[in-house]
Amino acid sequence: MGLAGRLPLRALLMSLLLLVPAAVLADSGNSSGGQEPRSASEWLEQLGPALNMTSYRGVFVYSRGAQVQSLRIVHRYREGRVEERLVLQDGAGGEIVRKGMDVVCVLPDQGRVRLDDVIPSGPFAEAFSTQFMPVGQWYRPERVGEDRIAGYDVVTIALRARDENRYSYRLWLEKNTGLLIKSHVTDTDGRVLEHFQFTSLDITDDISDDELKVQTSGREIARTLGPKEGDHSSVGRMNGWTLDWRPAGFEPAAAPRSGNGKAVAFSDGLAAFSVFVEPVGRLKMPTGVSRVGATTIYMREVSVGERTFLIAVVGEVPPPTARKVAESVQIDNELSAEMPGS
Amino acid sequence: MDERLRETLSAMMDDEADELSVRRLLSQADQDGVRSQWRRWQEIRDLMHDNHGPAAGMDIAGAVRERLDSQRGVQPQPAASTGRDVKAVSWHWPVAAMVTLALVIGFGAGTGWDARNSQPLATSTVPAGAQQNAALLPTGTDELALQGLDEEQRRQMRQFLLEHAQHNSVGVGRGSVGYARLVSASDGY
Repeated sequence: MGLAGRLPLRALLMSLLLLVPAAVLADSGNSSGGQEPRSASEWLEQLGPALNMTSYRGVFVYSRGAQVQSLRIVHRYREGRVEERLVLQDGAGGEIVRKGMDVVCVLPDQGRVRLDDVIPSGPFAEAFSTQFMPVGQWYRPERVGEDRIAGYDVVTIALRARDENRYSYRLWLEKNTGLLIKSHVTDTDGRVLEHFQFTSLDITDDISDDELKVQTSGREIARTLGPKEGDHSSVGRMNGWTLDWRPAGFEPAAAPRSGNGKAVAFSDGLAAFSVFVEPVGRLKMPTGVSRVGATTIYMREVSVGERTFLIAVVGEVPPPTARKVAESVQIDNELSAEMPGS
Repeated sequence: MDERLRETLSAMMDDEADELSVRRLLSQADQDGVRSQWRRWQEIRDLMHDNHGPAAGMDIAGAVRERLDSQRGVQPQPAASTGRDVKAVSWHWPVAAMVTLALVIGFGAGTGWDARNSQPLATSTVPAGAQQNAALLPTGTDELALQGLDEEQRRQMRQFLLEHAQHNSVGVGRGSVGYARLVSASDGY
């Protein structure tokens, strides 16, 4: 497979579990160690490559809503391959070790964190957004200052939403590598809805093989990640439904695997929401809006012919936006006929 | 002393506070547990930074709440000066400390916070003013709306969150954040 053939996967891979083969990113440029980018947008362009091509170890904390998670991470980029080990610091622990596309997940005997849910069981969604999206069109990027976090000098970038259909962001990037060290998602009142932050960090190429070995004993689940052969067909089609309205700038970005329905993700380059359209079966879901931190879930039911569908919009967008999107879903008669009932 | 906590502590000392976490912590029912963690934290902090903290056994919750409330509307100091001003650090530490404490207790409890399992807010230990402020937080009412879900519904909800998280930050690629969202999605609901 040539480089060109692999490019469509790039955006997705960057988004997912720090997983990017070197060949895919080889053309991205990496100013690590070079001269420091100046403008906010230059910093942003460096962000993706930095996440993967920087080697580091650390602990990060992530909180949204009432949930707080802490994970220890060791990430090594060597000879074009990403290797990493993530250990959950909460509950009974558990860890995930990845070498290139091979993933081993160790589950603790007990504990509420379900690691088997974390590892996707099917082929990944295929992103067809290969370009860095024009974030500046929907957000006002601004370099707002410098700081020091977890022992590193950082530059702070604010991305203020230009309309009320999306949240604003604040990113703290390490000065030499561009590594994301901290981020906030904020609403229009400036309240922090989601908080990610390294609490300890060591950016170093000196990471031994031992640090990347599985150390927890427990049930192991091993998988090789990657798209299956011939699994490119469903990308980009909103099979059987359309959106009458979507917030400006949100383009179809990925077609996630979905159990029994049709789902498409939309992204403006920074935020994303997914639209799920599934036939209502035995399980009755509540309708209305809920949210966890910056993530909104809006669900409604709609009947087409004799079938009832559940429409769920899930994403890092304000509740009114999710609602408007959900209400703009139009289901084709075709889908209605094609969907199996259950 | 757990190495991880020391690292957390050290990092948080230099950083601004996450008010959300602090307030959440203050609403925990187990205020005795909070206090004893606080004292332990104090010892650590004194050890690390060679200065004195408040006397053990003080009303931490009240003091921190007061501090938070008095900071409401106060702009953070501009990070113009590169040198680390001692005064600035001490101005910041109570809130940073509480965040660290929140993390410590989060780890100690082993599960993070989950609205579904927590007791009703410990009203006896939380002054009315704080309650009102807490109600303004974005975590308040919306999340509670899903508490009535049964296991199967929660599972479906989790599935939606998870599938969304799997392709979450397409385009920019936020790495660890995306990963954290995955874990978070698998834990909640």
